[in-house]
Amino acid sequence: MNAVLLIAKKEIQIALRKKLIAALAIVIMGLLSIALYTGYVVYNQQRAIIEQAKQENRTEWLEQGDKHPHIAAHYGTFVFKPKTILSLFDFGLDTYTGTSVYLEAHYQHEFMFRPAQDHSSMIRFGELSAAMVFQILIPLLIIFLAFTAFTEERENGTLKLLISQGVSYSSIIKGKIVAYISILLAIVIPFFVIAFILSTVITDSGSIPDVGLRVLFLLIVYAVYLLIFVAFSVWVSMQSSTGRNALLTLLTCWILFTIIIPKTTANFGESFYPLPSMKIYRETIQKDIREGLGGKNPKIAREQQLKKEYLQNYKVDSIHKLPLNFEGIRMQAGEDYGNKVYDIHWKRLIDIFNNQNRISSLSSFITPYLAIRNISMGLAATDLNTSIHFQKITENYRRELIRKMNLDMAQNSKYGEFYEYKADKNLWKTVKDFHYKTMSAYEILRQYLIELLSLCCWGLVIFFLLHYSSHKKRPVL
Amino acid sequence: MLEAIDLTKKYGDFTALKSLNLTIKEGEIFCLLGANGAGKSTTINLFLNFIDATHGKAMINNMDVAMHVKETKQLLSYIPENLMLYKNLTGLENLHFFCGLGGGHQNKSELEELLIQSGLQKDFTRKRVSSYSKGMRQKVGIALARARGAKVLLLDEPTSGLDPKASNEFSELLINMKEKGVTTLMATHDLFRAKDTGTHIGIMKEGVLLEKFESKDVSFQDLEKMYLKHMHN
Repeated sequence: MNAVLLIAKKEIQIALRKKLIAALAIVIMGLLSIALYTGYVVYNQQRAIIEQAKQENRTEWLEQGDKHPHIAAHYGTFVFKPKTILSLFDFGLDTYTGTSVYLEAHYQHEFMFRPAQDHSSMIRFGELSAAMVFQILIPLLIIFLAFTAFTEERENGTLKLLISQGVSYSSIIKGKIVAYISILLAIVIPFFVIAFILSTVITDSGSIPDVGLRVLFLLIVYAVYLLIFVAFSVWVSMQSSTGRNALLTLLTCWILFTIIIPKTTANFGESFYPLPSMKIYRETIQKDIREGLGGKNPKIAREQQLKKEYLQNYKVDSIHKLPLNFEGIRMQAGEDYGNKVYDIHWKRLIDIFNNQNRISSLSSFITPYLAIRNISMGLAATDLNTSIHFQKITENYRRELIRKMNLDMAQNSKYGEFYEYKADKNLWKTVKDFHYKTMSAYEILRQYLIELLSLCCWGLVIFFLLHYSSHKKRPVL
Repeated sequence: MLEAIDLTKKYGDFTALKSLNLTIKEGEIFCLLGANGAGKSTTINLFLNFIDATHGKAMINNMDVAMHVKETKQLLSYIPENLMLYKNLTGLENLHFFCGLGGGHQNKSELEELLIQSGLQKDFTRKRVSSYSKGMRQKVGIALARARGAKVLLLDEPTSGLDPKASNEFSELLINMKEKGVTTLMATHDLFRAKDTGTHIGIMKEGVLLEKFESKDVSFQDLEKMYLKHMHN
């Protein structure tokens, strides 16, 4: 057996005999089990509720009876963000962004704007999820596992004996890293086995088509993240004169990485790029619709201009003589203008979110925790980008639904005939049931290039430091 | 087997070892005597390549230890004043681990036999080292040297703090290894042990080897007088 494996084996033997490590490992396994169980329960409950609500909602839409299309447009419908199987692992922002939205004419009901009322969603965390255990608690276990990696050898004098056997620093470092990773694998593999079994019994709605690829990416990024923590802890231990110093340094880094920097960056994000209040946001949209963008084109003028255009185009002198119901045309035009206004304000809001998120992304160069947190949420389809994507799809669906109602009204009814004209199930059927598919894993990862780059940088820097320290000859005294 | 050529170690302005020239032949036990700070441990550390020489060379089997790190380490075994082993492992596990690092392929029963031959009670071979006395740990060190088939032993005050019985047992083991051709360089404060165990003795003071001679040429009383004379000058 070579030196690296011998050192790894010895390290594992010693770690297993340390009660603190065994206790921490049991705690982590317990927390992972609880997180998985609660995740499974929540997933099943929400999935069942959503599926039931979806079916009821669809039936209600189809069975709403004969009515005027505009009444149907206001009768509206609900659409639901499907609960994805990966949300078992990482709840992300799902709890805060909501899972359903009511679609009706004229209004964009925004479930994802709730954070605008209070705080940026970036700072609202705290539920026990498996992702949280991996992101925050396992690094803590790594610290307790590895802070003595070199200090104990040095303090006990065994380092001299090791070096006197002709073992290089490089072999010692590799051996210890292999050992800690093996211990971590022993702790997390049962979790993955159970998660895999659960995933086979769960029938997902197919909202994530490339779930296997996402799981693979998740495994890779988490492996890199934990490897960074292992290597960093070993390096700190190598640089520290005593175990106490190493532990203090590592715990300080852990608090900075997982609590202080993420909170600070979230607060910075809010301070630099404040979100408008919900009230102001809505009022501004309504004002711009009423008075026109920039106050130059009020609603009455727009409608008069539209009427004029239609009369000219059809060469008639009264809207009653038009071959279609002008009311439907007017409503659709109002809808189109409202959509234009909404898009402008929505884009501004998304820009603010993106600016806030950019601070979080760039801060991942200071703490790898932010990198893994953002990537993990992204791959689990529980992040802000997925929410925004879902919002876009639902808004397109809403627009299409309203357009169908307005065009039916324009084409099949006469001006002034509001209560007389009634559409039936055949029209309702033309509105297809809502299905949502997330972006592909590649599209998601493209949105987290900064985080991926930061993880690579962290890995490279730490392995360079370890390599440099191992080759820099140091007196073993 | 061991050779120091103009070996010097300086820490800033302080000279810990000054131009040491010394040759120790195969099968010899060379005991370095001297007070604290005389340069004994510095000499051992230079042969172990734990520290870099400021000037000169430390050679083992005609190889510069700084140039042939791996090859020279394979030849030697080191026992410090207080041999520290992994407390959570048993003596046998420690021996198995360190032997493996040195490329040894003995199985556990062979190593256990070696521990017993080195004076460790059988009951203790499978007990954790945290329950060992210093003497017991030193015996594991000797067992390690034997298991690895070390040609050179570098001992830094190995009997310091041992009770007379344990110290005597340790000396017997060294003599036994000498008879098998093992070359030993031992730093010690213990004049009696040096005279009793060593084939050669050197007296050091302030980084300088003042005198060296064969131990059979001096009586214990003469050695003591010589040592004290140098220490008082």
